[in-house]
Amino acid sequence: MKYDVLIVGSGASGGAVAYTLCKAGYKVAVLEKGRLIQREEFSKDELAYCRRDIVTPNLFEEYHTIEEKVEGKWVATPTYESGWSFWNGNIVGGSSNFMSGMLHRMHPDDFRLKSKYGEIRGANVVDWPISYEELEPYYTLAEELVGISGKAEEHPYEPPRSTSDFPQPPTKENDVVKLIDKSCRHLNIVPLVTPRAVLSQDKGHRNACYYSNFCGSYGCSSGAKSSSREALLKPALATGNLTLMSNTYVKKLHAGKKEAVEYALVVNTITGKEKKIFAKMFVVAAQAHESARLLLNSANRYHPDGLANSSGELGKNLVFSAGGSGQGELHQDSLKEIKFEALMQTGFFVNRSILDWYFVDHWWDGKFKGGLVEFMFEHQNIISRARKDNEEEGHMVWGKALGEKLVKRFTQSKSIRFEIFNDWLPNDNCFVALDPTHKDKYGMPVGKLRLEGHPHDLKVGSYIAKKCEKVLEEMGAKNIYSSVSSAPPQNLVAGGCRFGNDPKTSVLNKYCQAHDVPNLFVADAAFMPTGGSVPYTWTIYANALRVGDYMVQQLKRKNT
Amino acid sequence: MKRRNFLILGSLFGLSSHLSGKRSLLPSKQQKETEATIQAVQEHLFPEGNTIPSAKSMQLTQFLFETIGDQSYDRDIRAFVIEGAKELQIREKGRFPSLSMSQKEKALRAYEKTEYGKSWIERIMTLSMEGLFSDPVYGSNIQESGWKALRAYGGQPRPRTRYIAL
Repeated sequence: MKYDVLIVGSGASGGAVAYTLCKAGYKVAVLEKGRLIQREEFSKDELAYCRRDIVTPNLFEEYHTIEEKVEGKWVATPTYESGWSFWNGNIVGGSSNFMSGMLHRMHPDDFRLKSKYGEIRGANVVDWPISYEELEPYYTLAEELVGISGKAEEHPYEPPRSTSDFPQPPTKENDVVKLIDKSCRHLNIVPLVTPRAVLSQDKGHRNACYYSNFCGSYGCSSGAKSSSREALLKPALATGNLTLMSNTYVKKLHAGKKEAVEYALVVNTITGKEKKIFAKMFVVAAQAHESARLLLNSANRYHPDGLANSSGELGKNLVFSAGGSGQGELHQDSLKEIKFEALMQTGFFVNRSILDWYFVDHWWDGKFKGGLVEFMFEHQNIISRARKDNEEEGHMVWGKALGEKLVKRFTQSKSIRFEIFNDWLPNDNCFVALDPTHKDKYGMPVGKLRLEGHPHDLKVGSYIAKKCEKVLEEMGAKNIYSSVSSAPPQNLVAGGCRFGNDPKTSVLNKYCQAHDVPNLFVADAAFMPTGGSVPYTWTIYANALRVGDYMVQQLKRKNT
Repeated sequence: MKRRNFLILGSLFGLSSHLSGKRSLLPSKQQKETEATIQAVQEHLFPEGNTIPSAKSMQLTQFLFETIGDQSYDRDIRAFVIEGAKELQIREKGRFPSLSMSQKEKALRAYEKTEYGKSWIERIMTLSMEGLFSDPVYGSNIQESGWKALRAYGGQPRPRTRYIAL
């Protein structure tokens, strides 16, 4: 059997391409390394989902190596040594199953960062080959299709919309938003309602959010969370055109001639049996760093440096959605504006974000690209909240003192957090390559990640963190702290297969089609030359829907 | 940093395999040799008459051995839990379980002063809290006593099996 399209990976981008092609009547195979966990099988099991690697590979079997600079030299450490896993939700639907769902569109200026802000020394910033206007219809389509709830509000840095409002109103909110709103306004800051990839109302086969209090890091049991599995793969399966193959690891794509991939060489992760799967077109959607690794591992005599790598750009310029974070405690005895019982209500969201510092142009601070701020409660996991900060004067607290400390922490206060998202500037020391010695259990070279950030990113993060601390102070929070570091979050990664108009400097063209191999596409966040100052997920959904549309046109043309 | 050193100095990340199985990967000899010591440590960290349930009433020692014997648990940390208990036995000449409360406190505070000992006590603390505050399906947090003490409850739906055994 030869499929019209074979897709490697079932996460946000793989699901969006599969949905578009299946709806258009094409036969699609989606290959997913992990297993299928259905909606009714998910639970809020903290031990399993958050404290063991149940939904990601065993690091002794599959891992990465991470390069860090030690005494001026780059030294690679395998992640089975460090414990720093770069896997994210390896099950059907990928990491979209486990997202918190705080989604934002990129701003039009994010598409032309170099033109707008010029060169930054040591950073490889380039403009995108498409504009916001070209992606806007797909942001809107994603909003409707996968289901993003929210409230359209006026703000100078809010990207323009082609529809007047979100398809669903915001999810229910904890009273703490009243305190955030009042505190922000007192500081002349504009608080905005966060768009969220969680349904506030029923939608087709999916039920509205039931406010479980355990959303991020967990699979959703009502279908409210807008994962690829619920929002895209289920309807794609319903067309009868989708063949979903879980437990299927792709070792390499085989290009038997220079300009076309012929088949994927796969291994069944349960039986260990290998086979070839043939298709007319191939889509790589395995998460940015793994997509680049697969193409590098697919090198052959026609493509000696890796598939689609005549530019030498494959794997280069990885970026992350990061910036910094901070936290403070709201205490019962000093709480302002709202009732303590209302603060302690469990399950409702803190749908608040700040865009005021997305662009900074200040007589004293200067002109630079800033970022987005999100507010949220500290993750409500019980074991992790109980386990932290149990030291006093350098000694562990145990016995009766520990009991009293825990009961006080859990019943008389609640911690509020902020997270900052600002640009991770692409640079020569942030990339993925193949490790020359380490191989995974399938015998394939593992990805070697070098992950250095640009010093400018830390300056921006620190600038915004100080502003956020002021908001927490105004809210009356205690024990406020923030942390801005260059350690990347492994769950929000992009780049490595830049798109662009010049085949000499980019891997993909503006439709995310490989310059070198026309029947090969990369649909995940790997295409992004810069990442904007927002989490990537909405852009991944939107762009993959755009890529899917283009592939449908190509297939139609071939068939006529 | 080498893995052993990394684990001993304490990891921020939960490491382990995802395979599930019922057979314990911990040799019964190792459990027999260390059980009394680990139980005495857990009962000292989580005594009776506290605002949170005790190690004894929540069967934390049984939970600990079932947990580290499971295939989902990191093999190096499993070895560290056993080694650290043996080290405490050597330090206290095999008498730790029979020491008085104040002697136990002194022994553990002295052990805590070593980097290795501190890391080991922290690991026992983590394993104990994993029992106290995880879903009762794992055999501790009996009748949700741990959750009730903190007035914090796990979300719905609750797990029906351990470690997502689908």
